[in-house]
Amino acid sequence: MATVSLRAMQPQPAEDLASPPAADAGAPTPAPTVVLVESPAPAPAPAWAARAAAGPPPPSGVATAFQWLRAQALGLALGACSLAAMLLFWHLATTYRWDFYIRFTNLPTPMDVLQKFGEAMNSHKFITNVGMSLRRIAIGFAVATVLGVALGLLIGRYRLTRQLMFPAIEALRPIPAIAWVPISIMLWPDNEVSIVFITFIGAFFPILLNTVSGVQAVDAVLLRAGQSLGAREPQLMWHVVLPGAAPQVFTGLAVGMGVAWVSLIAAEMISGQFGIGYFTWEAYSLISYADIVLGMVTIGVLGLLCSWAIRFAGNALLPWLQYSKPEGRT
Amino acid sequence: MNDGTAKGHIELRQLSMVFGSGHRRVQAVDDVSLYVAPGEFVSIIGPSGCGKSTLLNVVAGFTRPTAGQALLDKELIDGPGADRGVVFQQYSLFPWMSVRKNVEFGLRMQGVSSNKRETTARTLLGLAGLLAFENHYPDQLSGGMKQRVGIVRALATSPQVMLMDEPFGALDSQTRVVMQQILTNMWQRFRLSVLFITHDIEEAIFLSDRVYVMTARPGRIKAEIEIALPRPRTAAMMSSIEFTQILHKLRNLIREESLAAMGSELSDGGLEGFAAEVGTAGVKEMV
Repeated sequence: MATVSLRAMQPQPAEDLASPPAADAGAPTPAPTVVLVESPAPAPAPAWAARAAAGPPPPSGVATAFQWLRAQALGLALGACSLAAMLLFWHLATTYRWDFYIRFTNLPTPMDVLQKFGEAMNSHKFITNVGMSLRRIAIGFAVATVLGVALGLLIGRYRLTRQLMFPAIEALRPIPAIAWVPISIMLWPDNEVSIVFITFIGAFFPILLNTVSGVQAVDAVLLRAGQSLGAREPQLMWHVVLPGAAPQVFTGLAVGMGVAWVSLIAAEMISGQFGIGYFTWEAYSLISYADIVLGMVTIGVLGLLCSWAIRFAGNALLPWLQYSKPEGRT
Repeated sequence: MNDGTAKGHIELRQLSMVFGSGHRRVQAVDDVSLYVAPGEFVSIIGPSGCGKSTLLNVVAGFTRPTAGQALLDKELIDGPGADRGVVFQQYSLFPWMSVRKNVEFGLRMQGVSSNKRETTARTLLGLAGLLAFENHYPDQLSGGMKQRVGIVRALATSPQVMLMDEPFGALDSQTRVVMQQILTNMWQRFRLSVLFITHDIEEAIFLSDRVYVMTARPGRIKAEIEIALPRPRTAAMMSSIEFTQILHKLRNLIREESLAAMGSELSDGGLEGFAAEVGTAGVKEMV
């Protein structure tokens, strides 16, 4: 909805702006653009151009905001309802210790978890755990992005590198990151690096594969256009292939970020010291049930924030996409 | 823009092009020789699949000929380069760059400073009536505007040669007429050599100094026709007697080839009558 109204405010790129007036007057009047072509100096933009650039007067901000709210109201209300229902069920089930095959007897109530959260915010230990996890994600994901995109460009563009590297990659790809945990512990000198490695493995393959298919999907005519404008291979790679593949690279980054979190939490639970996964598992060992749920919620929120960061970066770096898809991105 | 050193001479010598091998072998182009003099506007027309675009791709340096030579100013063409601007049939603007950045692309590849690039791009966009859209993305433009940006982008590096592969093929007929007028005006201004591929006969006559007619596959040159209409060309000329005569001549040549391309089982009784018109003055039969 919001995108549609935005598009409506764009200057109309209709052809009739540039085409000559209807030739009903008999004498063929040249089109305004034709006159421009013949004039030796760049003439000032004609009046229609200025109008087009300015666009029609936008509706007042308040009215637009109100319209947007009205359009979104139902969705927002339903979203709030589903969250409230979940919390209510959790509250009732744990407060009254429901026990019907599924046992809610030992689970903490929402208020317990909220109270723990208050304590955790003042606890150095909890903050450290969160910080450790974020650091592991940042390093593992960054290395996966750099390697995945670089290799993806090479594999997607050149047959030689594709034939050389793809079989090995295809052989390793089906092994889930968690299955790497024992080997990773043996492989790397310390625990910290091995956890980062697991995180990297999780993010690497989605990023790589999406980059490869993004590169292969770049329209051949764009490559030819680049070449005929004098771009050499490295320039072509940087200015045409990479931006051409970028939308799919970002799909890979979003998927990779999700898998990276799954892998990280598993690795932290199994082999960890510190980290939010370790915190959650330790809470279970110490029979500190409210902390388990606090850990779960924290993991969910962190994962969500990371996905949002990727999506935000994607929208900021690829602004043209909002025009190539008429429906807009949601 | 040209300093009068008369550069931009294109020559194809006995060019042949074969795709595939074995029973998939297709002879696309067979023994084609043609030239474009510096500053000349030359069109190639022919039935679809006759290898017109193949010829253009060879001159652009995208493909290498199987036999024969493609020369630009006496030098063998060896890959694509900014000395030959190409305008493609499909829209080929980079969707992630604004209109102005698209136009600046070639200069940027040459390392021209951003100030100079901007000045050049804005001047050219002004000439094409697109200055108001310099910060738009290509996907915000109409088809005709996109193709105008494509032409301007190809002009930005001051090439000696423009290669245009059915650039107006995807446009509606009203837009196409306007675009033809814009192109012919631009060409008069810049005086580059143009090799123009089209299947639209009127378009070829309206724009060109000379027209090559190609045969159905394998593509050979069937005829070469001088278009002696005065310049500047205007829409009014399209209903003149001279224009109509050339149109008839070309139409018959093309019709023959289109029928040949469809197969010999088609026998058009009216064709013999038309064939008599072919080969009159102005038509050089090629061997």
